This record gives sequence, C-alpha cells and structure tokens, in this order.
Amino acid sequence: MDGIVVTGMGVISALGRGVEQTASMLLQEKSGVDKMRILKSKYTSLPVGEVHETTEELLDSLHYRRDKVITRTTLLGQVALLEATQMAKLQKGLLEGKRVAFISATTVGGMEKSEQLYHDFLYGTEHSEYIALHDCGACTNMIAEITEQDIHYSMLTTISTACSSAANAFLLAANLLRTGRADIVVAGGTECLSKFHLDGFNSLMILDDEVCKPFDKNRKGINLGEAAAYLVLESPQTAQERGVAPLCRYAGGGNRCDAYHQTASSPNGEGAYQSMIQALEEAGLQPSDIDYINAHGTGTANNDETEGFAVMRVFGDRVPPISSTKAFTGHSTSAAGALEAVISILALTRNFIPVSLNFKEKIDSLNFTPVTQTIRNAKLRHVMTNSFGFGGNDTSCIFSKL
Amino acid sequence: MVHQSHFTNNMSIYIQSVSQISVQKPLTEEWFDNPILPKEAFAQSIEPDYKQFIPPAESRRMGRLIKRAITTSLSALKKGGCEMPDAIISGTGLGCIENTEKFLNAVIDNDEECLPPTAFMQSTHNTISSQIAIRLHCHGYNSTYSNQGTSFDSALLDAFIQLQLGQIRSALVGGHDEMTPDYFNMLSKINYWRKEDVNVDMMRQCDKEINSFSGSCSLSMLVGTDHTENTLCRLADIELFHSPMPSQIRDSLFKMLHANKLTLSDVDAVVASYSGNPNVDRYVGHYLTQAMSEFPVIWYKHLFGESFCSSAFGIYVAAMCLHKRLIPKLLLYNPKDAEIKNPKNILVFNYFGWNPSQPNVSLSLLSI
Repeated sequence: MDGIVVTGMGVISALGRGVEQTASMLLQEKSGVDKMRILKSKYTSLPVGEVHETTEELLDSLHYRRDKVITRTTLLGQVALLEATQMAKLQKGLLEGKRVAFISATTVGGMEKSEQLYHDFLYGTEHSEYIALHDCGACTNMIAEITEQDIHYSMLTTISTACSSAANAFLLAANLLRTGRADIVVAGGTECLSKFHLDGFNSLMILDDEVCKPFDKNRKGINLGEAAAYLVLESPQTAQERGVAPLCRYAGGGNRCDAYHQTASSPNGEGAYQSMIQALEEAGLQPSDIDYINAHGTGTANNDETEGFAVMRVFGDRVPPISSTKAFTGHSTSAAGALEAVISILALTRNFIPVSLNFKEKIDSLNFTPVTQTIRNAKLRHVMTNSFGFGGNDTSCIFSKL
Repeated sequence: MVHQSHFTNNMSIYIQSVSQISVQKPLTEEWFDNPILPKEAFAQSIEPDYKQFIPPAESRRMGRLIKRAITTSLSALKKGGCEMPDAIISGTGLGCIENTEKFLNAVIDNDEECLPPTAFMQSTHNTISSQIAIRLHCHGYNSTYSNQGTSFDSALLDAFIQLQLGQIRSALVGGHDEMTPDYFNMLSKINYWRKEDVNVDMMRQCDKEINSFSGSCSLSMLVGTDHTENTLCRLADIELFHSPMPSQIRDSLFKMLHANKLTLSDVDAVVASYSGNPNVDRYVGHYLTQAMSEFPVIWYKHLFGESFCSSAFGIYVAAMCLHKRLIPKLLLYNPKDAEIKNPKNILVFNYFGWNPSQPNVSLSLLSI
C-alpha cells in the first residue's frame, strides 16, 4: 500500500480527555461549550469551550509539582501527545533506526501566563523564568519533553497560521514522509484560552453570547475554545514493520491563500474553494468521492456563508453531508485543525456523522443544510476537514478508509 | 542508526535574490564592502524609502514589521525577476510583537475594555505572510513558522521540500522579526544582550561575559528551480535537527556532500551562528569542533545582530560570498584567517538552544 497512514491520535478539548471520551460526547450530542469556569476574564457571560480541568489538575495528572514552570498550552499539548504516541506505540525499543519528527501548531503560545505576569516581566524581579516560555516555539520544545524517555525527535518545528495552523502541520508532515526526511511524524496543535485571545475576538465583535449556531441563518458568532490534538503519521511499511495497525489513510491536503483581507473571507470564498480543490487533486479524488465534510463552520456571519459558497462551487448541487462541530468544542483556533482531524477520523473509522448542533434555519444564499441528527451506520470512505484562518490561510485535508 | 536513504532527484534549487532591512544599509549589499558595526546592544534597523514600494497613505496604517516585510518581499521579487511566487512562507519568532504588546497592554491596563481591534487583527504571526499575499494577490501556498531561532530555517526547509517534490517552482521565503523596547528589556532579564558597548574583537572572546546585540531582522529570499542570470547560488540541501549528537551532524554532512558529489575538501567554509554570547557560543563551538573542525568559520551576527530570525542572514551571507566569489576577512571568525577567493561550497550551521539540552539546529549546503 502506498501513501501515508495515521497510526495514533490524541486529544483533549472541551469534550474531555481522550479519543474515547470525544467519540462518546459526539455520539451523545453533548456539547462541551459552557459557562466560563477557569479563565479569569471579566466577560463571564461569554460561553467558552474550556477544557474542564484546571491547570493544577493538569499538573497533577502529569505528576508535576504544582510550582512547575510550564504553560497551560504546553500542558494541554503534553496530554494529547502522550495519548497519540502511546496509541501509535512510539516506545523505546520499537523505534530503532526511525526518525521521528514533531510538528506542533500554536498562535498564542504562553500568552495565558504572560498576561498574568506581564507587569512582573516588565517591572518586577519575579517570574522571569516564564519570559522564555512566551513564544510559540518554546511551547513545542517543552511539549516534546513529555515523551523524552521514549522518543528522540530528530527535528521539531512550530507552525503558526492562526486557525488553520494544525492542518498545515499535516501538510508538512506528509512532505517530510514523502521525501524520506522522517519515518514517522507526530503533527497537530495546541491552544489554551487566554484573555488576550478572548478579548481579541470580542473586540472584533464576532463572539456569540450563546452557544454558537454554525450554518444557521441567525448565527451570531464564535465560542472561543481550547484544545490540543496530535496525529501520528507514517508510511504503511513503517507501521507494518513496527507492528502497529493503521487507523486510516491521510489522502491529501491543500493549502491556498484567500489573499483578500486580514480577518474577512472573500465574497466567493476563493481561498477555501482552491484549498478544497487542491486537497481533492492531491488525494486523486472527485468531489463525489467525499462522504462527509467537517466544515470550519465557526458560526460567524462571514465564515459560514463564504465557506458555504466555496463548498457549493466544489460540490455543486451534490453537497455531501456536512457539519460543524464547533458548537461541541468551541473554536480552538490553532488546535482546531487537529481536533477536527481527530473528530473526522473518529467519524470515518466508527461510521457516524456528527451533528451540527443548534442549527434551525437554512442560510438563504446556500443550497444545503448541515447534518441535524447524528447519522449512525454511515458508510464513509473519504472525509474532508476544513480549517480556515485569519489572513486567508485556508487548508483542507482528506482522510480515507484503509 | 540506519536511516532510510535521503530522497534524491535531479531538481536543482536556486537562491535567486535576497533583500534585507537590518542595521546595515537597507535593500543593498553595501555591508559586504562597507559594513556598519553597531556598538550598542539595542541596535536599530535602518529604514529604507518605503514610498518606492508602498503608497504613503497605506504605509502609515501598517505596522512596522509588515511594512518591512512587504518592502523586502517586493524588492526581492523585483531583483529576482519574478512577479508572482508559487508560495509565500515566512519565519518569525515573535510575529507582530509591537501590535501584540499594544493589545496586551490594553487588556491589562483597561481591564479588558475599549480594546483596539486593529492591533489584535495585526498581532497574529501569520499576518506577515498573509499581508504579502494580499499585496501580491497570491493565492498560492501560504504558511508561517514560529520556532524560535529555527523559524526561518523551517520556512526554507518547507520551500525546499516542495520545490524538490515539484509541488511549486518558486517560493518567497522570509525571516521577519522586530524588537521592541519592552521585549528587549524582558530578554535582558534572562541575560540575552550585551551590558556595555563592545567591539568585534571583544565579541570574539567567548570567555568574557559579552552578549550579543539585538538586531531586528527582515529578509526576503526568492528560491526556485529556474536558473536565471540573476541567480545567486544553488541551495544544495537543508536539514533540521533536534538535540543532535555532533556525530549526527557529521553523518548528515557526509550524506549531503555525497548526494552532491562533493567531498570534505570541496567545502570552503562554514557559516556559524556565533553571536558573541558566551552562554550560547560555547555550544556552537562544541558542534563545530566535533563535526566540522576542518573548515574556516564565517560569522555574521557581529554585523546583523541576534534575533529569532537572524539565521536568515547566515544563509544570505553564504549566498553573497558565493555570488561575489569572495569571503572577505571581515566575515571570518578567526582573525588569523585570510580572505578566501572563489569559494564554491559553503555550509551554514545554525544553533539555537535556550534550553541547551534540547537545542534546535540546522545544517545547509550552498554551492555555486
């Protein structure tokens, strides 16, 4: 078998910890978006997709001291990385001669800590050890430490393309494998909630004060979320050599830029259209081969309509079942591409299509409605997942049954 | 360790053009003959005449880093004779930190009220690549790497692989970082910068507590598969490593040379990321001694300073030496080394390790 397979995945989000919990919540149609409990913002009325574990609980679960110098973004990443690497059996002794690369995505990095300690950073003498943890790359480097007993990463890097970041990690991963620069790649992203991020989206007036309603005519905006998720990607031969059963295939990806506006999508969703077309081309598939689209579907007026237009341009009057799972998880920005890849792979491998929660009324200008009831016993061969970011960074990935 | 054989094909990849804004004279190669040697720790970049590239009305609304990135991009494209690259890939360690700080200060000082949305919109790291794309109407591959001192290296690797695979034929690769007074002060607390004015000779003496100087960095590089009259040199290979043993660097060096039908004696010099900071330079020195001790060492941070994207200048300096057929004395780390004429193959070694037990490292090979 040619190509690239997925042999492990790990996730933590508002739906909870781990792929089993994530699948269970999706199938029960239970949202993780809720009242703000952990983030210390004054905008407590804004619902958020918070990971329901405090930073202290995360520290305890990883057997760290409570005073360990580490950020929440990093802790979330470590939880997800452990699950993914364990599932894929990336263990000492099973990796002889294999080069394992690590690609992680984030945008705010250590901001959640920096915004609490910023005056100390600038004017004080305490907490300066957190200064070196602020930037994106610092997170990736520290996340990797959690697996250092088992894995020596041959290379490591960090992608930051806003809300499409983690999806772009898969594209680089695929190219590293295709050129033999790595034998195994762990790729995904992590992002934690911060006042900086919440207030930023709020200043753009694109947050919904209720649980979001993607693709609904009366949608009002985003619920911001936090999450971390990683996939383990390798060649089928490498997986076979290591005695690891693949979950599915990574069939292809597309990255295109809308090149229109810093925070708004072009009226006809040009970048989104092109990224889906490119992903189909790379996967060698026709639009009719796609059995489910996990949409970017943030719930903003602009995204859902322009993504809808782009989907209509690609799929015509035969739009496959489509849903946004943002009302389950909130929008976890840089982690969203990986979180939704995990959700898409769960759908693919467990034969269900998750519902687009809170949808009531069709958007007039679109020719489709999203999935309103969980479809069980769905026969899925190929699923597409979209991740579109600020600055028109649009990426689509396709995963296929083995 | 037994590694899978390195992917090889016959595709040659070239560095077509480079344009930079730094503490040296902007958008030129004047530093090669008449360098400026900054003495102060917080060295300021020299601003070019932006209105040649960006209408003043637009320029006023742009953040400083975006303005620089667009200018070096347009300038590099012009020098390289390319109107539309197939991909835009940037490296930036801190992104648009000026806007990030502006928004962060507002969040803290205004208790999360009356916040400036434009500062937030322009704070994300990918603003740089996307603003370049908007300016060029470029719908091609667009990405941003933010991995501390190997941000640019990651961007260049991504471009290199896509060129190798034939997914693209050209890419505009950038390294863009600005330094703000606040971030400068924060990094001073973790002993990153010089504490006094120094000269180049003092910087070479790594046993002294003399740190690097801060240089904001904006560099755009056009790479592609077409050899043109403007081509500066060939980018033969680039590889990234995470906490490698020096022997791995050595192995990789041999593999690179072998793949390009070269031997150790064909290499004229190695560009190293010495910065004058003894806490870092001792590790750079360790790798050089263990893995590449036979080559004369070129350095560049005495001219361009330290920033998360300064490694872009390592590649640039190597490319210019090959293009100008000279490694001038000023670039040689060892004051006893004489200038080298007609260099043909130059290695570039970049080390970044705030945590010295987990450094990120890159090795590149550039050839005429």
